[in-house]
Amino acid sequence: MNTVVAQLQRQFQDYLVSLYQQGFLDNQFTELRKLQDEGTPDFVAEVVSLFFDDCSKLINSMSRSLERPENVDFKQVDSGVHQLKGSSSSVGARRVKNVCISFKECCDVQNREGCLRCLQQVDYEYKMLKTKLQDLFNLEQQIVQAGGAIPQVNIN
Amino acid sequence: MLAGKAPGLQHPNSNSILRGLIITLAYDDVNRTVTKRLLEKIGCEVTAVSSGFECLSALSNVEMPYRVVILDLQMPEMDGFEVAMKIRKFYGYHWPLIIALTASTEDHVRERCLQMGVNGMIQKPVLLHVMDSELRRALQSASE
Repeated sequence: MNTVVAQLQRQFQDYLVSLYQQGFLDNQFTELRKLQDEGTPDFVAEVVSLFFDDCSKLINSMSRSLERPENVDFKQVDSGVHQLKGSSSSVGARRVKNVCISFKECCDVQNREGCLRCLQQVDYEYKMLKTKLQDLFNLEQQIVQAGGAIPQVNIN
Repeated sequence: MLAGKAPGLQHPNSNSILRGLIITLAYDDVNRTVTKRLLEKIGCEVTAVSSGFECLSALSNVEMPYRVVILDLQMPEMDGFEVAMKIRKFYGYHWPLIIALTASTEDHVRERCLQMGVNGMIQKPVLLHVMDSELRRALQSASE
């Protein structure tokens, strides 16, 4: 038994579990991992990459809409939050999704200050998740390069 | 518009009901990619589109006998209900099957779905086993 591989696999498992425990990810991420197989080994990485691109674009456009206090397009902001909530929900980005829920509430009552706070928070959360998942994918790569298999992790 | 070939099926008998072409319509890249992959994983051959127009165009292609349309109801700048209505208007009420993906299970959404001739509803985010069973259920009852 290759102990280097076993060690890496252990590290990967612990790290992934910690991401769930700390609320960064939820069950939908598990569903996403189920869709990846030998034929589509980069599926999860590709989807989250699309997600982070979306985050960046939506945050930029919402930021522009919220820029001038006398002229806020809440409809546009609401549309952006809705999209962000939808895609974060599909990939299991739990913290991002939760900020979107508060964000929508601020939008509904046209609270510009609240929206700006939520925008900042959602920006922080997606960037944090991006870093965490990059670390996770790096571990995956190391396992594969060492000749091992990515463990199936059960989240309880 | 993307077309994908499904990977080899492990249990051809149990999956034969799922074999067949499906169109999935979602506005954003993330949802379109995830739904497409999910359907392929359960053995379907999928064409992913991002507009009602592309969807209707794909359906009009006689060389690709699509059986089901998976339709995301909550899309910005596009009314999923309107797409469903157009499908029923051009192609009738028996084909293709329409399965709606919705974030809400509110009664008025269900009502509208029934009115539009939608054959099934799945709540988002979509789980693999839920898509599988809902597809089977809809295809089964359509063949009865």
